[in-house]
Amino acid sequence: MIHHVMGVNGFYPLLMTLWLLPLAGAVLCWTFGPQLKQLAGWLGAATLGTSFVLTLLSWSAATQNSGGALGAHQSLLSWIPGFDFGLLLDPLSLIWTFIITGVGFLIHFYSIGYMHGDKAFARFFAYMNFFVFAMLTLVLSDNFVGLLVGWGLVGLASYFLIGFWFERPSAVAAARKAFVINVVGDVAIMFAIFVIFTKVGALGFGDVFANASQLGDWVFVVCVGLFIGAAAKSAQLPLHTWLPDAMEGPTPVSALIHAATMVTAGVYLIARCAPLWSVSSDAQMLVGTIGALTALVGAILGTAQWDIKRILAYSTMSQIGYMIMGVGVGAFEGGVAHFFTHAFFKAQLFLGSGLIIHALANEQDVRRMGGLMKKMPFAFVAMLTGVLAICGIPGFSGAFSKDAVIYGALAHGHPWLYAIGLITAGITAYYMFRMIFLTFFGSYRGDVDPSELGIRHPELAGTPAHDEHEPHEHDHAPAWIMAVPVGLLIVPTVFAGWLMFGEHSWWSQFFSAQFAPEHTVATPVSDVMTTVFAVAAVLAGFAIAYLRYGAPAAMEHAIERLRTETVRMPGALANALYFDAALDALFVRTSQLLGTLFGRLIDPLVIDGGVREVALSARWLGTLVRSFQTGLVRAYALILVIGVACFVAYYAIAGGVH
Amino acid sequence: MTNVIANPYTSADWNVLYPLGIVALGALAVLFVDLVSKKHAPKWLTLALAGLSVIGAGVVCAQQYGQNYDAFGGGFLLGGFAVVMQELVLVAALGTLALYATLGDEERMAGTIALLLWSTCGAMLMAGAANLMTIFLGLELLSLALYCLCGLRENAIAREAALKYLILSSTASGFLLYGMALLFGSTGSVALAAIAQAPVAGNPMLWIGCALFLVGLAFKLSLVPFHAWSPDVYEGAPLPVTAFMSVATKVGALAVLARFVDAAVPSAGAEKLLLPLWIIAGISMVAGNLGMLAQHDLKRLLAFSGIAQVGYIVAALAGGGALGLRYALFYLIAYTFMNLGAFAVATAISTQAEEGSRLANYHGLAQRRPFLAAAMTFFMLALAGMPPTAGFVGKILILSANVGAGYAWLAGLLILGTAISLYAYAKIIRAMYVRDEHAHAREAHPVSPLAWASAAVCAAVLLVLTFYPLAPSNVIPLVR
Repeated sequence: MIHHVMGVNGFYPLLMTLWLLPLAGAVLCWTFGPQLKQLAGWLGAATLGTSFVLTLLSWSAATQNSGGALGAHQSLLSWIPGFDFGLLLDPLSLIWTFIITGVGFLIHFYSIGYMHGDKAFARFFAYMNFFVFAMLTLVLSDNFVGLLVGWGLVGLASYFLIGFWFERPSAVAAARKAFVINVVGDVAIMFAIFVIFTKVGALGFGDVFANASQLGDWVFVVCVGLFIGAAAKSAQLPLHTWLPDAMEGPTPVSALIHAATMVTAGVYLIARCAPLWSVSSDAQMLVGTIGALTALVGAILGTAQWDIKRILAYSTMSQIGYMIMGVGVGAFEGGVAHFFTHAFFKAQLFLGSGLIIHALANEQDVRRMGGLMKKMPFAFVAMLTGVLAICGIPGFSGAFSKDAVIYGALAHGHPWLYAIGLITAGITAYYMFRMIFLTFFGSYRGDVDPSELGIRHPELAGTPAHDEHEPHEHDHAPAWIMAVPVGLLIVPTVFAGWLMFGEHSWWSQFFSAQFAPEHTVATPVSDVMTTVFAVAAVLAGFAIAYLRYGAPAAMEHAIERLRTETVRMPGALANALYFDAALDALFVRTSQLLGTLFGRLIDPLVIDGGVREVALSARWLGTLVRSFQTGLVRAYALILVIGVACFVAYYAIAGGVH
Repeated sequence: MTNVIANPYTSADWNVLYPLGIVALGALAVLFVDLVSKKHAPKWLTLALAGLSVIGAGVVCAQQYGQNYDAFGGGFLLGGFAVVMQELVLVAALGTLALYATLGDEERMAGTIALLLWSTCGAMLMAGAANLMTIFLGLELLSLALYCLCGLRENAIAREAALKYLILSSTASGFLLYGMALLFGSTGSVALAAIAQAPVAGNPMLWIGCALFLVGLAFKLSLVPFHAWSPDVYEGAPLPVTAFMSVATKVGALAVLARFVDAAVPSAGAEKLLLPLWIIAGISMVAGNLGMLAQHDLKRLLAFSGIAQVGYIVAALAGGGALGLRYALFYLIAYTFMNLGAFAVATAISTQAEEGSRLANYHGLAQRRPFLAAAMTFFMLALAGMPPTAGFVGKILILSANVGAGYAWLAGLLILGTAISLYAYAKIIRAMYVRDEHAHAREAHPVSPLAWASAAVCAAVLLVLTFYPLAPSNVIPLVR
């Protein structure tokens, strides 16, 4: 087999350095944590900052294109014949690396302030740096195996960080749930990889994509396997339930891992496997539909949340639904564009919410906020720009990418998904402005008795109001440490979308050699009209939010209204559409049942000791006799004899045929 | 006139058995020292003697590498294959000695270790056995010592395990012996190669002989449906014995099976003759992994895991190609170190009072013993076949061998089994890393340095195997 490599082979020291630096940072923070103290944070941020600079310096290498080989390929070691381990930096992985190191750097910087005074300060940065290394492994790997390794490692880092405050039982439960769902995904990807290897005989991206035709009809199976993995990591229906719970982690973790980077790994996987997706229209239909439904369901659930971080978590799920819909239907450029802008505005929103949570001593319930605009004008500006971007107000970054995705669904022949995309845009505007109105407008409700707001169990409503492990009121780091990253993020939150503006935008130039030309169909509606529709939907959503939460009349009776809404919340919404219960019944119970069932078939002693039949005796003879009497040994002997009978029967027949 | 009975064997024949002889002498030396000691031989002395004999045997055995000799009229084939298999058995024995250093009590040490060494001799004999006589001799030497080792504990479960093992294994040995008798009857020779020469057509005696012979081996390998004994016996036996059984028995039986597939199967009916073997290997891969799902005890879990793992290795032999055999050997070597490593960790967290085999012992281990938890994770991932471990490399190689030989269905079952197994292995990893209420209840107790070191060595060897996967299989020559 000819060895196909994506990317120009060469020696790229910068690439290797930017990949390994975060690992070095993690090791240093872990090893010398007690000595480094607050310096651990600066060390962690500095390694990422350096990696970011190196990413920028590698830009020309990543975009080089000679003879069909796009990007930079660095071989690391030869493994199984025909299968090498290496790094690949092409436009697609460059965009991810740019976000991981760039936004990662800002979030690390912010964390120095946010985590100030936490007793496990250095451990936090060790985990965060390790996460970045794992994520870089995922996106820079030139083969499916390396990708899966990174995939597993980011999962590991993720549940370390979700369970970071492991004294909270809810954090531990959340970490466990993330673990279980991610194992489902890992199994599915591994299955796909084995199928690929069985059919194609290679695992490097270049080899697999060049010989994708050998997969035949199996390409659909491979795509489904990869997508189940993507769905688990990227919180797509019905494997999304871990993401809202993952908000138990510190807020910078939510910003970096559960919004900007890790949860978009599924989008990366599908975009990376574009050559497989583009030949399976069934897979496109399936993935596009699930993406659209996730966008819709996430938005609907977002309307019913009271915890500010859970609102943002459901919005993340919804926005990733858009991305998955985009790459799923084949609009790869648009899907990746939405990843790019989302990383900025969602990080912005999370870090902005972190400012509020930090200032209100860990209050996360929006019912107990209100009127914060005057107290925290900077947080207000930060959150507002983020909201305008996520809603897709023209001119803000989200508008360009989201409209590209929605229009892409239509252009690839999926009018229903197009409609869902537009409806979701309206709902998004509603719940996002609901959050803004409840948080920043009206009067402060933090001193109101929780029961008046309908909060029956304040300690269950969100995270504990006062947690000794979170930063203390009296021990604040200088405010500018947290403000600077938020301020810097405002720039791309507002302007990043302009890269995608126009027929021959910088963005489409950038990806011109990455993705094969898309096969689009004639559309009844132009892309400009799509933007008009989207703006109309957004205005409608805004208007409803304004009437319910922002209008002077609503403000006046805010407390009664909130109480009524809390009490009258439909059960389906309050219970997140019962996905948790369904998943529990489907996976947890079924796997227990399967285990017991097969256990009984294969292993007569399913539950250790519980059904042990042999009466245990201190005497040899007693045991001997009893074990014959009570039948366990007889059962085993019976299995043995039946097996022998089958064997002998086969051989007698097979031998007698001659 | 004196009737001189000529000794048919020359010194060259006996030279072949040097490694085996050294181990057997080691066993005698251990017993002798115990006999002349006042009360009991000191633990360290017993272990040192045994360790020396095992290492000495390993060195001598390594020096035989590159020689080819048919000793005892074809009863023991010295060659690269036999050397590698014997070394694997010796590695298992050495690892087991390290575990005994942690867990064994002085009173019974000498007897235990002597039995262990004799059992090792049996497995070593199987590694080179090439006729029915030596195969049976090796198998019984291995098994008889193991029955006793299983029961050597003041514990009802251990006795029950030993008894079950004895009863069921003897039954299987009976089948094996009967099969051998039929094979001998149909060919007139005990040599494996003679079976390959025998006419296949109209020779039901040969076929049924093969059936019973394979049943016997499948039992020793605990392939489904001949597996029922192994979880109980693994659970009941002392931890070091379980570790030894999970490796040495399988190495010995696989050596015999590989040689049988290579040398004894008539090429005319090969596909038909071996089909049931591949079928039970396929069933074992899936059933073994399913069986793991319900387990809460590391030893039982590894028993089921072993069922599936042996299924993978046997499946690699399907097609009978030279490549398949190399890949099977590679996987077997990797498996040896994965399993020994896992048992070393289990031993390291054991105390004299309680073996560290219940899943509850692993809760929060990552906090108490980060290295052990990391090593265990590595072994579990390797057993599950996750990249980038040797287990993954091995599975990929086996898959390619299967597909190349036209056994795509086996490849499919392997994938299915792997997918299921990840769940079960993840259970242990999760227990170690996800903190919960049990974590606070358990105090870290001192860890035996030897068990710790064994885990480290196993992990290191696996790492080397992972990244230089073709090195060992390039060195391993084909069956001879």
